[in-house]
Amino acid sequence: MAASAAHAGDGDQQLAARASAGDRHAFARLMERHYDTIHRIAWRWCGNATDADDVAQDVAIKLARTISGWRAEASFTTWLYRIVLNTVRDRQRAFASERRRVEAFAVQAMVEAQGGEGADGDDPAMRLWSAVGSLPERQRDAVMLVHGEGLSHDEAAGVMGVSEGTVSFHIHEAKKKLRVLMKTPEDELS
Amino acid sequence: MTDEFNLDSLKTMTPPQPDARKRDIALREAMAVFDDEKKCSATQGSGFGVRLMAKLQWSWSKTMTALTKGRLMSGTAIAGILAVPLAGYLAFMVMNDGARPGLMGSGPMQFASDETRNSDDIIAAPKGYLPEPRVVREAEERDQATALADYAAPPAPLPSGAAQRLRSEPSMLGAPQALVGDGSMRLSPSVERLVRDRVEAFETNGIRSVLQDPVSTFSIDVDTASYALMRRALMEGRLPDPDSVRVEELINYFSYAYPLPATRETPFGVNVAVAPTPWNADTKLVHIGIQGFDVEPETRPAANLVFLIDVSGSMDQPDKLPLLKNAFRLLLDRLDERDTISIVTYAGNAGTVLEPTKATERETILEAIDGLEPGGSTAGAAGIEEAYRLARKGMVEGGVNRVMLATDGDFNVGASSDDELKRMIEERRDDGIFLSVFGFGKGNYNDQLMQVLAQNGNGTAAYIDTLAEAQKTLVEEAGSTLFPIAKDVKIQVEFNPATVAEYRLIGYETRALRNEDFNNDRVDAGDIGSGHSVTAIYEITPVGSPAVMNDPLRYGEAQETATDGGSDEYAFLKLRYKLPDETDSHLMTTPIGPELDRGSIAGLSTDARFSIAVAAFGQKLRETDAVADYSWDAIRELAAGARGEDPFGYRSEFLRLVGLADVLDR
Repeated sequence: MAASAAHAGDGDQQLAARASAGDRHAFARLMERHYDTIHRIAWRWCGNATDADDVAQDVAIKLARTISGWRAEASFTTWLYRIVLNTVRDRQRAFASERRRVEAFAVQAMVEAQGGEGADGDDPAMRLWSAVGSLPERQRDAVMLVHGEGLSHDEAAGVMGVSEGTVSFHIHEAKKKLRVLMKTPEDELS
Repeated sequence: MTDEFNLDSLKTMTPPQPDARKRDIALREAMAVFDDEKKCSATQGSGFGVRLMAKLQWSWSKTMTALTKGRLMSGTAIAGILAVPLAGYLAFMVMNDGARPGLMGSGPMQFASDETRNSDDIIAAPKGYLPEPRVVREAEERDQATALADYAAPPAPLPSGAAQRLRSEPSMLGAPQALVGDGSMRLSPSVERLVRDRVEAFETNGIRSVLQDPVSTFSIDVDTASYALMRRALMEGRLPDPDSVRVEELINYFSYAYPLPATRETPFGVNVAVAPTPWNADTKLVHIGIQGFDVEPETRPAANLVFLIDVSGSMDQPDKLPLLKNAFRLLLDRLDERDTISIVTYAGNAGTVLEPTKATERETILEAIDGLEPGGSTAGAAGIEEAYRLARKGMVEGGVNRVMLATDGDFNVGASSDDELKRMIEERRDDGIFLSVFGFGKGNYNDQLMQVLAQNGNGTAAYIDTLAEAQKTLVEEAGSTLFPIAKDVKIQVEFNPATVAEYRLIGYETRALRNEDFNNDRVDAGDIGSGHSVTAIYEITPVGSPAVMNDPLRYGEAQETATDGGSDEYAFLKLRYKLPDETDSHLMTTPIGPELDRGSIAGLSTDARFSIAVAAFGQKLRETDAVADYSWDAIRELAAGARGEDPFGYRSEFLRLVGLADVLDR
């Protein structure tokens, strides 16, 4: 359901083909149609709306620059996912350490303020989301694509450039790790 | 098996609306770029020189745009804390691109050419990968490089040109995802893979027979670097190198509140307890907990701190110099008008950035710290000399005189060897100037050298990988690291062969002393800081226990009666220390008798139980035989039951690390 926008375009392929041939109008429509999707994917990977805005801006410009190289035999949606994910990844690489540090610090400040209560919040979905965000990149991508974006294993494989089996493997590994990450020390005491 | 979580709940979260204004800007910019792109597509095919110039200009404008639009700094709380030196950032981008002239594609459409992909994470270079040269902007290149970085380099079927081009970035292409995924800057993964942290390997303490070797001597150790290195490894999804795990540093990472003596006659209290070993029903643990008194803030001595800061090129990474600058601010808050600070940098040539300055002159100090720019190679020896010169200049009699070395360990000591450096530090130590070492970053962190330096300089070595760690090391423990209450603290334990057959000291391998050095006041040992606690644990095998490893001696009987004083004590503990400004040591002694035997683990204090869990964890990471059958779960259970108040969450973090190790060990 959440992925419907990404799947929507019957016209996407044609629009993209025309845009790649230099059709300004087609490109404008393509962007209009997909900006929110780009933003949504970016948000899911980045974890916050502000970062997603920045990524979406970068992706829009990237698309403008590279659409001429797009070829019709590839799926536009797959291509779009790749560009968004790569942009997110570039950005997160550059900021990875800073962010971890800031968060570690913020978490600590919160722990101090709240007297030992974790900073994860009570919403299990939020906790899960942030736990997924801390997984190794490939596992995170696989989980987000399949469970967040609602892609099939096959489609996710296309985006990630791996086989379907590898996607399943990454998800399996991710679950194993999530089980540990989601377990609170409080649970263990009881 | 049911999970505690439902992955599909990820789907149910409602995405936020894009910022409308940013959306408009983005779409407008995109259209403008689209138009530009059409125009210049006619003039493609220029050479590399032109391309580089174009890119330089482009980089500049992109950086400026990014800065002015606040894009570099937006997002989370990063804005407040991020310090990317602009010049460094630009140099980085240009350098990075220059190093990879070949990786210009004809556009990302190869991403989707499915037919060349084979299974798993290996992808052969897509057909037609080497296109006509054309002007490509940095962004696309980065995109492609990132995509490529996810796949291993294809073996044979590349055209020779491609092979050469790919070689310009070999480790980028081959780097495992785990490393790449965490790389703070895109340059670092390749460095990391080639250069490993240098860690000194050592043998785990073995089991000693009391008859043959009744006396055990070691220096206390308050270093914690090993804990942060271990945590970093686990967080990155790998078990730490067993050699990098120093069990006593893991144990002493946590602060324990052991009881203090009633009077301040001695600077610290010594608490001993005996209990069954959790991982072996047939042995016992002797737990020694030393607790130092707090120096009262009003009576604490003045501090003369000289910061020796590595600003070599290798420090130009977010988790190094920028983190250091932030950590420095934290420390500054703890100092007052009694204290002076000086700053020396080293890289290329050593220079004084700040002459001794009162800690209250915050502006001056912060200005100096903010002005530090990374660059050049490291010339450590000259820097250390300069730092000691300043320390002597600002010497506070009866105060704390300390050089604080901050480096990523990429320490080029010129012609001099590690040994010469060590000698120099020892000499200065005798002048009353101590040395603390703070390690930053990873990849080429020289743990071994840092340990040697700190141990010989009467100092501590800590590894700082996060601001939270800086907070812990520099601020919470400022008292303990900066203000020693006792120095050269040595422990000697003599076991009673009548009751104890064998013993094993857990950890402290790198701190072992010769028995005769115990009474030699010229032999250096570890310090105890204000409010610090130190823990040492022996595993002992009582006489007659089925766990005894050594066969009884055929001719041992006579000897045994000779040494047996008819006592039922387990052992006799002796401890030597000097007060910070003294050269002669004091002796403390405590018999360890059966009355100290608590009978069960539960009879121990919470802190003692937690330290034992950490000891088990460290030994398991070191793959120590004794704990082979003791499960990660058991460790976690023991620790979870001894978390106590844990106001800063360090012990909860430990529980999570045990969980991660458990998963990774499968």
